Amino acid sequence: MTTVTRRAPHQGVAPAPPGPPKLTFRQRLSVADVKWSPYLYIAPFFVVFGVVGLFPLLYTSYLSLFDRDLLDLEGTFIGLGNYTELLRDSQFWTALTNTLSIFVLSTGPQIVVAVGLAALLNTRLRAPTGWRVGILLPYVVSLVAVGIIFANLFGPNYGLVNSVLEIFGIDRIDWQGNRFFSHLAIATMVNWRWTGYNALIVLAAMKAIPKEIHEAALIDGASAARRFFSVTLPLLRPTLIFVVVTSTIGGLQIFTEPKLFDAMPGSNNGGSSNQFQTITLYMYQTAFETQHLGYASAIAWVLFLVIIVIAIVNFLLTRRLASTGAEDDR
Amino acid sequence: MRRNQRRALAGAIALATAVGLTACGDSGASDDSGSGSGQIELSIGTFTEFGYEDLLKEYEATHSNIKITHHKTGQGGPYHQQLLTKLASNAGLEDVVAIEEGHLSDVLDKPHLFNNLTEIGPKDVKPDRWLDWKYQAGTSKDGALVGYGTDIGPLAMCYRKDLLEAAKMPTDEASVKAMFESWDSYFAAGDQYVQATGKAWFDSDSQIFNAMQNQLDEGYLTKDDKLAIESNKDIKSNWDQVTAAGGRGQTAKLVAFSPEWNAGFKQGAFATKTCPSWMLGVVKEQAGPENAGKWAVTDAFPNGGGNWGGSYLAVPKQSKHPKEAAELAAWLTAPEQQVKAFEKTGNFPSQVEALDSPELLAFTNDYFGDTKVGELFAAQARKVGKAQYKGPGDGKIQENATSPALQAVEQGKSPEEGWQQAVDAAKKIVK
Amino acid sequence: MIAIPAVVRRRATGDKRASFWVYGLLIAFLLGSVFPFFWSFLVASRDSSMLTERVPPLLPGGNFLSNAVRVFDSVPFWKALGNSIVVSGAVTLTTVLFSTLAGFAFARLRFRGRNGLFLFVVATLAVPTQLGIIPLYMAMSEFGWAGELQAVIVPNLVTAIGVFWMRQYTAQVVPYELIEAARVDGCSMIRVYWHVCLPAVRPAAAFLGMFTFMTSWNDFLWPLVVLNAENPTVQIALERLQSGYYVDYSLVLAGTTLATIPILIVFVVLGRQIVAGIMQGAVKG
Repeated sequence: MTTVTRRAPHQGVAPAPPGPPKLTFRQRLSVADVKWSPYLYIAPFFVVFGVVGLFPLLYTSYLSLFDRDLLDLEGTFIGLGNYTELLRDSQFWTALTNTLSIFVLSTGPQIVVAVGLAALLNTRLRAPTGWRVGILLPYVVSLVAVGIIFANLFGPNYGLVNSVLEIFGIDRIDWQGNRFFSHLAIATMVNWRWTGYNALIVLAAMKAIPKEIHEAALIDGASAARRFFSVTLPLLRPTLIFVVVTSTIGGLQIFTEPKLFDAMPGSNNGGSSNQFQTITLYMYQTAFETQHLGYASAIAWVLFLVIIVIAIVNFLLTRRLASTGAEDDR
Repeated sequence: MRRNQRRALAGAIALATAVGLTACGDSGASDDSGSGSGQIELSIGTFTEFGYEDLLKEYEATHSNIKITHHKTGQGGPYHQQLLTKLASNAGLEDVVAIEEGHLSDVLDKPHLFNNLTEIGPKDVKPDRWLDWKYQAGTSKDGALVGYGTDIGPLAMCYRKDLLEAAKMPTDEASVKAMFESWDSYFAAGDQYVQATGKAWFDSDSQIFNAMQNQLDEGYLTKDDKLAIESNKDIKSNWDQVTAAGGRGQTAKLVAFSPEWNAGFKQGAFATKTCPSWMLGVVKEQAGPENAGKWAVTDAFPNGGGNWGGSYLAVPKQSKHPKEAAELAAWLTAPEQQVKAFEKTGNFPSQVEALDSPELLAFTNDYFGDTKVGELFAAQARKVGKAQYKGPGDGKIQENATSPALQAVEQGKSPEEGWQQAVDAAKKIVK
Repeated sequence: MIAIPAVVRRRATGDKRASFWVYGLLIAFLLGSVFPFFWSFLVASRDSSMLTERVPPLLPGGNFLSNAVRVFDSVPFWKALGNSIVVSGAVTLTTVLFSTLAGFAFARLRFRGRNGLFLFVVATLAVPTQLGIIPLYMAMSEFGWAGELQAVIVPNLVTAIGVFWMRQYTAQVVPYELIEAARVDGCSMIRVYWHVCLPAVRPAAAFLGMFTFMTSWNDFLWPLVVLNAENPTVQIALERLQSGYYVDYSLVLAGTTLATIPILIVFVVLGRQIVAGIMQGAVKG
């Protein structure tokens, strides 16, 4: 294209700097696309969450400021009264201790075993799909069945576990009555259900590690153990963070397993003296059994805060433990 | 490969959208308003087995403008859960809902929840249709009738004849009556049995304690709805008596309806059982055919009698057709219909006329040695003098305070500590 | 490059043939995983009385078919199966779609507030669902959806876990360079997503799909509250099998076994895809 050149009309006056080129419509569309499409893509989640998560959350926080029973038309405003009462509530502290105890007993071993399992599965196996189906099976079995099965296995009088213990000369254990052993039993239920699931997640990440990296480490003369800790583990970091954070959040919220474990069917008590009542179960009991809705809302909010704190702690911990130093994490 | 995958994914998304849209379209059709021809659609919600299936068809046949949908939930726990949620959200309840007596006290004095059946129900339905104590329990403090009584669970005592014989205890009718005449004699017999066999007399402390509790005039709350667990000395003395007997080896420490409790029947783990009428079916199923004829049931019950269980039909204020709903509920709880339900599922009627019906009185149970159980339980039902006053939270205290505390005592807590646990829990429930 | 013997390379890069003790450990773990499922099939193929025997039998009996037939007679199992398939299928498709979309945005697009919003997404995981039941039920009733399948589908259209999972994976496998190249070639954002991002995250998306399907299939509390026995999902139908004051466990466990079969099919069918996808992903590097 020929351009027409013009002589500057006035000598001595600097020509105005050329402004930005005028964009065509298509180019403007493209700019808008880059600018706004991210918001569009994340929108579905926030819309759904707005209705399904945010609204109940706000409503619950509103409720927690009232003394209101489930079936009342309205409650009396008591400000932070529910929260102060919660701090003095021994059952709440029992539930909190139970929750943390079960959490430690389940999440810790679970993740270690899951990573180990994934490493085992990462070898060349015959019928790999079969193994993966196998370890995922617990996750797939319905909760109804899980409750029946474990209640039977851990029954103090006629349960299989106690019978096996007797064969080895160990005393029978009252799995529902003893506080520590009830936590152990429930942690077993949780571990049984979730370890395979987490192992497959870690396996997927392991498979995504390019072979060249392993080869490079091999050339550098790294032993298998060293390779695992210095190469594999750090590269698994995003996945491990995912597994740890979700296990933390899930683990602190467990509800179904302790509810199903009680000898009294349908009970929300978590044991005759709340030996294994978790916070979520306590909240559920308060809302739907004793029907103190305002108080239950306060429990829910405190749990929410506890989860956030512990999840952040775990997130930072995992990041540190599985780090190589500099990491490209843009 | 990629192109095919793209097509597949696009097709799948289209399918999901289509499903979503058609699902959205359906919601219009399921509105319950009539289709313009005066058709009224009623829904009724029940749990476990009420025996209403044929009855509802019969009602539809005789009322051509009414169509009935029956929602059945399996166990009572989830059912009442749903009920509470729907009451609290003020939406989604059926026109007629079944409520068990333990949960009724929670909704009795909340007039915004349920209709007053004396106002909207058929005028010919009178209080004398039912046993007096059943009717009273369904009435609120202001005199509003919240529920029409359906069935009841009059208490009798079941016992294993063969186990008693093995313990060299008499099993003739007169001796059995003497044994079960009062709680003192009951526990004394228990001591005898434990000494002779070393096995348990009853299944759990809470089963006995609940029966004793139900025989008191007032429940865990006084008539002005104040917590009576500390002020009413009878409650504590019952507690002491039961835990002491349990401590002497009389309890099998089995939580009712747990898998181990089921196993206990087969193993002959306990010799006696508090038996409301509906428990007969449970015993038969759990003990199995090999124990047929070994279990017997007697109308001798310590301190006379009592009631455990039973439900009501209520019409929520949410209902769009309260009058028709009340008519249906009234019809279902009429003596004739209740007897038919009894024949189908064994739910024992609460209606006075039903207790005199020949079908009921002739009803026998071959598992229990061909005893005339209909007659037996009818007599037991009449022995219940008056309704125990159950204030709001009474059922919850039994389920969440005393029963778990008794279980804790069986698991090793001292009776005093257990009592304190029960009291603390009760205070929490009522606060 | 130093020539690495093929044997050593295979061993290093995870391609080694599994040793005996690897199989041994896996078998032990598998037995532990599978045993309860096998046990429930055992009870379903016999009758409830075996639960009370001190030394339980270990071989299946012949009652499974008759118990299964009873299941179909007791509850509308076909309808429940159909409903569950529709619900879980719809939820899976939408969750995968929206999660990969959002994951793509959070991982590879730069926009204001990205980190804060992502943290918010993660924080929502901490919201305990049980208490939200009442306000959510109120909302569903407002929309007229109570008792309909929408009430179970819509709240689960996209999950925080899904977004989180896809974001992590996308950050790992989709290089900026590829995206920039596509942009330079004139692709709009959506085409970048479709042609660059999606193929790369296929294995993770398949995983997400499978897990979402299973979680949705096993969801119990919320469908119990919002659906009716007329329009049940499989889990609700299973609950109905426990009617009466006594529970016939062989019937219930026959039901749970029947309910698990469709998921197994899904897994076996999708499983091959996933394995293939993972292997491809591993080679691509």
